[in-house]
Amino acid sequence: MKKLRFNRSQLCIPYAVFLILFVIAPLVVILYYAFTNGEGQFTFKNFASFFSSTNTLGTLLESFALAIVTTIVCLLIAYPTAYILARSNFKKKYVLLLLFILPMWINFTLRITALKEVLSVIEGNISKYQFLNSVIGMTYDFLPFMILPLYTSLLKLDKSLLEAASDLGASKFTVFLRVTLPLSVPGIISGMTMVLLPSMTNYVVLDMLHNSTFIMGSLIGSYFNAYDWNNGSLISIVLLVIIFIVTLVTNRFSDEDSNSRGAVL
Amino acid sequence: MKKQIKKLKKIAAVSAALTLVGAYGAVFAGCADKDETITLRVSSWEEYIDLGGWSDDELIEIDNPYNEELGGIIGKNSMVDDFTEWFNSTHDFKVKVEYSTFGTNEDLYNRLSLGDVYDLVCPSDYMLMKLIAEGACEEYSDEFLQSGEYVKSVSPYIKSVFKDYGWENYAACYMWGTTGVVYNPEKLDDISDVKSWDILLNEKYNRMVTIKDNVRDAYFVTLGILNKEELKGELSKDKRSEILNDVDSETIKAAEQVLKDIKDNVYSFETDAGKSDMVTGKVVANYQWSGDSVYIMDEAESDEKSPVELWYSVPEECTNLWFDGWVMLKSGIDGNAQRRTAAEAFVNFLSRPDNAVRNMNYIGYTSAIAGETVFNYMKWNYGVEEDAEDVYEYDLSYFFGGDHKIATDAASFDFEDGDRTVINRGRQLFAQYPSESVIERSTVMLDFGDKLGEINQMWINVRCLDLKDISPVTYCIVAVIAVVIVTGILLYVFRYKIFTGYKPKKGYKKVEN
Repeated sequence: MKKLRFNRSQLCIPYAVFLILFVIAPLVVILYYAFTNGEGQFTFKNFASFFSSTNTLGTLLESFALAIVTTIVCLLIAYPTAYILARSNFKKKYVLLLLFILPMWINFTLRITALKEVLSVIEGNISKYQFLNSVIGMTYDFLPFMILPLYTSLLKLDKSLLEAASDLGASKFTVFLRVTLPLSVPGIISGMTMVLLPSMTNYVVLDMLHNSTFIMGSLIGSYFNAYDWNNGSLISIVLLVIIFIVTLVTNRFSDEDSNSRGAVL
Repeated sequence: MKKQIKKLKKIAAVSAALTLVGAYGAVFAGCADKDETITLRVSSWEEYIDLGGWSDDELIEIDNPYNEELGGIIGKNSMVDDFTEWFNSTHDFKVKVEYSTFGTNEDLYNRLSLGDVYDLVCPSDYMLMKLIAEGACEEYSDEFLQSGEYVKSVSPYIKSVFKDYGWENYAACYMWGTTGVVYNPEKLDDISDVKSWDILLNEKYNRMVTIKDNVRDAYFVTLGILNKEELKGELSKDKRSEILNDVDSETIKAAEQVLKDIKDNVYSFETDAGKSDMVTGKVVANYQWSGDSVYIMDEAESDEKSPVELWYSVPEECTNLWFDGWVMLKSGIDGNAQRRTAAEAFVNFLSRPDNAVRNMNYIGYTSAIAGETVFNYMKWNYGVEEDAEDVYEYDLSYFFGGDHKIATDAASFDFEDGDRTVINRGRQLFAQYPSESVIERSTVMLDFGDKLGEINQMWINVRCLDLKDISPVTYCIVAVIAVVIVTGILLYVFRYKIFTGYKPKKGYKKVEN
């Protein structure tokens, strides 16, 4: 019997098929719809109407503001947490880390529904604080994505560098500012991208907590619900381009330490 | 019951998946000829038919002339199964029902235009109109229109409405109702606030009322608010219909502004949460369809922890009278006489008064079927003994014909005048069967026609956030963040210059070991 042998390129076939079916083909379809009208003719009208409407631009700005505020709040909470976790001599610190990741194992619509009830109790009427609630909801949802990269980059940090800085007379604050912080920049950037990008396009959390006003996700959804593939696709493309630019910029910044990026997830 | 719903959804999903592959349709049709089984493809609203599984104590204790052994009316098996069993034992060929559901009329329409095939569907009034106008509907046979169970049992009122709009040969009404406001009288400041649609704009109830996340309902309300004064006066039926079906571009623009104001005042645009928000008391008033209102009122008063008594009000301006009706589709029936017989038999089976009662009891909506059995069911549900304290004879002769009055508890209505003829607010009975004064100021909302795109765009504009409506705080946040990011980038790029004064040469940057 002949032995079954695969060479490298043959082993790539399953992934190539997946890539073509679920990444490239949908992209082509979206591109096609974005630049055609209902009758299938080529047009820039969808494009023009998106950028000339103050309504869609306002929604874009609001989504952006939401995403950025969420990212910053996540960073402010996650950095001290990751710092303490990475530095603690506590033997069971993996248990502590687990506690932060644990919520990710529970279905997140369930978590947001519960959060909604909690917020109702605290705030009385949640619909009065839609922006705040959305930030809280998304922070809750994406915090682990910020903590993990920060934790790994702080953990990998060479302790002898810190000792050297102290030996040379730096105060604790200076050590942090001049050594720890610069060395954890790749972690910060990795975490920020991991939070910023999904929160730009988030749909479910915002739909549940920011109900009466559309943000980008629900705007796309509303076009698709009305079976207007063209405008919906165009907005998806706009988001895609924005995300692409953000990724490009962040990649440039962590080029020199690229081997430490994305190592955790 | 839950289990059955799940099962049905699974069936629906599978059948939808199968029908997506167009070729399967032909395969099914091919099978049908061989073993004489017709597959009847029915599509209707979610949870819009009795799925059976009632426990014994849910028996409706009224005379059941169609099945006296039962001693009442009860849904042991699902309606669809009962139909199949009845049909197969009374006809010379067999039928299998493929029952699927849709979420909105537009959903159904789009599925049809994408090539899904159904024999019998149950859209609402305006979608009926559209389908009929497009010539997609099959006319019912003369036999059905002259001696079918539906024609025998349907209410004279429904019959006349369907005749007026010219749907009578194409559509058989299934359920009907009004739109109104479910409210909690204890939490309202003043009961007269709920008399008008502008409760949605009332600042007293800021973020305490909800509206449906549905462009047609929202637009209708807006027309009611915009033409408030005129609608309250005496108006002919045609004039009323004209005002409430106004799709002028200027009206649409005015509506956009009103809806934006409503958006800033309501708790949420709800799709499903309205029911629970009302029961838990998060909102005090909720724009609703009459059938769901009945369900909400039932739920709220049987809530174990804190039962609440909710009411249903039809605002003084107008109400949207709606009808859901069964239509046969040409694309599905496709000239097949057996399939047409099966489809008509299905409608007739649902129209049998005992089955109408089962559906009504199960889903909470009001059937188009009149007749003694349905009337007795209403009496059994809401009637009181003759010697009760304050009995009110609620006149339903417009619907049941003749002299049909239900002796019911006067406390379940909110009368506005001494002689108790004007009724605009009440409890379940009123929500199920509106009073004649409500019917007088109701109108059917027609299809938007070629203005649909414009109105959909208006709705999206309402839900979006205009640049000028964004709060200054947000602008400040974005500006500050932009400045921070730019400074950060600059600091990073020139970090060696600023912090250390020199840039390490290449090769010294990183220490590899």
